[in-house]
Amino acid sequence: MTILTRGAFAWPATTLNYHTGTWRVQRPVHLHGTAPCHGACPSGEDAQAWLAKLEEGSAQAAWQTLVEANPLPAVTGRICHHPCESACNRGQYDSAIAIHHAERWLGDEALQQQWAYPVAAVAADAPRFAVVGAGPAGLSASYHLLRQGYNVTLYDELPVAGGTLRTSLPQYRLPRAVLDAEIERILALGITFQGHHRLGREMSIEELRRDYAGLFIAPGRQVGRAWSVDGVTPRDLHHGLELLQEWIALGTVTAPASVAIIGGGNTAVDLSRIMKRAGVQQVHLITHQALPESGQEVVDVMSAIPREVYQAQEEGVEIHPNRGIRRLILRGERVVGIEMVRMKKLDRGQGRLERVAFSGTETVLHVDQVIPAIGQSLDPAGMERLGATEEGLEVSFWGESGHDGIFAGGDARRDSSGTASAAIGDGRRAALALVRRLQGQMQPEREVRAATVGIEQLNLSYFEPATRPQQAILPVSERGGEAEIEQGLSEEQVQAEARRCFSCGNCFACDNCWTLCPDSAVLKRHEQASGGAHYQFDLDYCKGCGLCANECPCGYIQMEEEM
Amino acid sequence: MSTETTISIAELRRKQPRFSAIESGHRACLGCGQALAVRLVTEATGPDIMIANATGCLEIFTTPWPESAWRVPWMHSLFENTGAIASGMEAALKAQGRSTKVLAFGGDGGTFDIGFQALSGMLERDHNVLYVCYDNEAYMNTGVQRSGSTPHAAMTNTSPPGRERMGKRHLKKDVINIVASHHIPYAATASVAYPSDLRKKVRRALAIEGPTFLQIHAPCPLGWGHDGAISISVARMAVESGMFPIIELERGELTGVMPIRKPIPVADYLRAQQRFRHLFADDSRAREELEHLQALADHNIEVYGLQADADDLRDTSGADTVRRGGMRWA
Repeated sequence: MTILTRGAFAWPATTLNYHTGTWRVQRPVHLHGTAPCHGACPSGEDAQAWLAKLEEGSAQAAWQTLVEANPLPAVTGRICHHPCESACNRGQYDSAIAIHHAERWLGDEALQQQWAYPVAAVAADAPRFAVVGAGPAGLSASYHLLRQGYNVTLYDELPVAGGTLRTSLPQYRLPRAVLDAEIERILALGITFQGHHRLGREMSIEELRRDYAGLFIAPGRQVGRAWSVDGVTPRDLHHGLELLQEWIALGTVTAPASVAIIGGGNTAVDLSRIMKRAGVQQVHLITHQALPESGQEVVDVMSAIPREVYQAQEEGVEIHPNRGIRRLILRGERVVGIEMVRMKKLDRGQGRLERVAFSGTETVLHVDQVIPAIGQSLDPAGMERLGATEEGLEVSFWGESGHDGIFAGGDARRDSSGTASAAIGDGRRAALALVRRLQGQMQPEREVRAATVGIEQLNLSYFEPATRPQQAILPVSERGGEAEIEQGLSEEQVQAEARRCFSCGNCFACDNCWTLCPDSAVLKRHEQASGGAHYQFDLDYCKGCGLCANECPCGYIQMEEEM
Repeated sequence: MSTETTISIAELRRKQPRFSAIESGHRACLGCGQALAVRLVTEATGPDIMIANATGCLEIFTTPWPESAWRVPWMHSLFENTGAIASGMEAALKAQGRSTKVLAFGGDGGTFDIGFQALSGMLERDHNVLYVCYDNEAYMNTGVQRSGSTPHAAMTNTSPPGRERMGKRHLKKDVINIVASHHIPYAATASVAYPSDLRKKVRRALAIEGPTFLQIHAPCPLGWGHDGAISISVARMAVESGMFPIIELERGELTGVMPIRKPIPVADYLRAQQRFRHLFADDSRAREELEHLQALADHNIEVYGLQADADDLRDTSGADTVRRGGMRWA
């Protein structure tokens, strides 16, 4: 008796003898596009890729994919301004995936479970690189050099690693235990850490260049930018960063009855919140820029992370947006107040923006102290030979300084955006480029990445709206100490977020192409497919109608002209 | 993946984890809704079936001599007697004591018009047959002539728009209610845009002893005048606009509908198709017919209660939701 297959399949005299593929003028191809979250991440993380692993139920695999780009997820999950979420296609549909929460949860879980970094042991005789500055850029560079099989010596002026993450980020945003644990794990991979070493003091660029296979410099920015109002400065001028670092190191800071903090960045906002905690009755924050999401053009919005700005307001910080300082009101040499004026950035034609003060809008604010927090500059000592100035170091996309074997990045670069995630990206790129240089390879102009997949390339009919979960926030009455304000999301919530991901530009094995092909010309390689590799176009029969491409929810299938 | 590439594509085709009664190599046009619908129907039935197939596209494109795309017993009937042939097949199997299910396949021409008498007789005599009508709203195989199913105002070669008329003068025949009026246990509509719903209805019909009827909306890219790539989108818009209501009738009573979460304007559905292009001319008659079609859709939404009150997992937006790993609800 003939035993039929499950599909009652029979060869003879079927239409399979006739290859309808000959009709085709275009063919479907699988094309892995870049998800917008990936394209937007300053650290170079492919969030789509690790969210997919998380959705598949493997948190550890998700974390391993994540740390292929960024070794500090527990840190960046807390402090990053997450441009990935601003870029997320789902934001235009209902609400962006809470990527930073998922990142934070994975980072914390890795610390708790002690998951091993995907880094093999480095041979003792492998070439050794030097990295100067143990902030996010330096740590990232060291980690990525190690990952590629090289030894690293990491130098820092301070006795412990962490850089700006340690000196300038308040505990309520980044608990010290989390920072310590993550840094300790990275150093334990085999990085030789040398504290108390500063360029131009204990060592020189020439020495380092001579002793090591290559050099990455990321000293950060430590000096408060020069500030005055028409040449006048208060007698006891303290820069914002200075006071911030004092509070973080000592847990105390001098508290007058009222202060005015100048600036719209994270340092200004952090400082304003610290002043509240230190007991200052009235904390005023004065910025040229607008409040986030107040409807003004993006170029002129406060650069601080919006949620930090809202939390500062909740805590009683009074923000005066779109204001400039006209004059310091002095009694003798002591500040007793400031004169503010309304300002706005106006388009003067040809895209030239100019900040204009409107006369007649002047107001006076009585304060005991004025603190500028308008950004930091680089201390070029020890780096003069590289052309360093207060404005920073000029470097290429890969961090090349123009001097052979010397790369730089992080906040010290002239065009730095001043974020830890960008610094991590700088470190990663420089590590890749340093190794390429050592191996005598050409540096490509940019990182090669497929085109970013826009929302118009997705088929949204196949998705359902779902709400983004909200994390618990410490109530204002319980804030004040070092307790972390943002509580993050639970494992279940984070997994639900992964399920909301549109999987832009990458197959998530929904079976749509397989289900909807009128010619059964899409074959499945696995009973249960899990990715694009598990579907195959049978070009003997595919007529090239394009239906699969049109119905692919992820934009993973595209039609290509037949040659 | 390296171990998997060793298996040939022909072997892979043999091992597909689903049944399909029609094989590739059939000569359907690019993006054919009917070819897809047939596969979805037979995915749900499995191989223990016999098919009586009316004259029409499906018969032509699956059986180019000397080949056949069919992998189940299949018989071609005339245009007018599919119901009768299916009745005979069912009676013969019954006499032999066999449980193989008989399916009758016809297009809208063979169902609404030419084969209607035989269908009506089959229903009246209570044969245990699932009759599936693939509704592409005109005689497509003979070159797009109007049928009883062609929607009002659509252009076909026998209902051209011109000085006298704006496309088809008459209305689409309400065949589902006519069939349901035979007091049969189950009659339903489905669309290729909602494969889970379609397969669920096939399984439902198969489980019933007695005559059952399924009308499947299946776009015809050539006859409707749209790119084959958007067949599914067009079918979806037909449902979301209310032009093609997805309903279930048992013993003539309405027992289920697929609610429309957010009805779209009928014009969105019409604009995608060349057969309605004359309705977008700067012409007062065109505007009137657009309003007429919108009113027909609104009427469907009203009489069947298609407007969803709240989001539903089985409504027009939820019913085709996809998940990682291919999980569908049916």
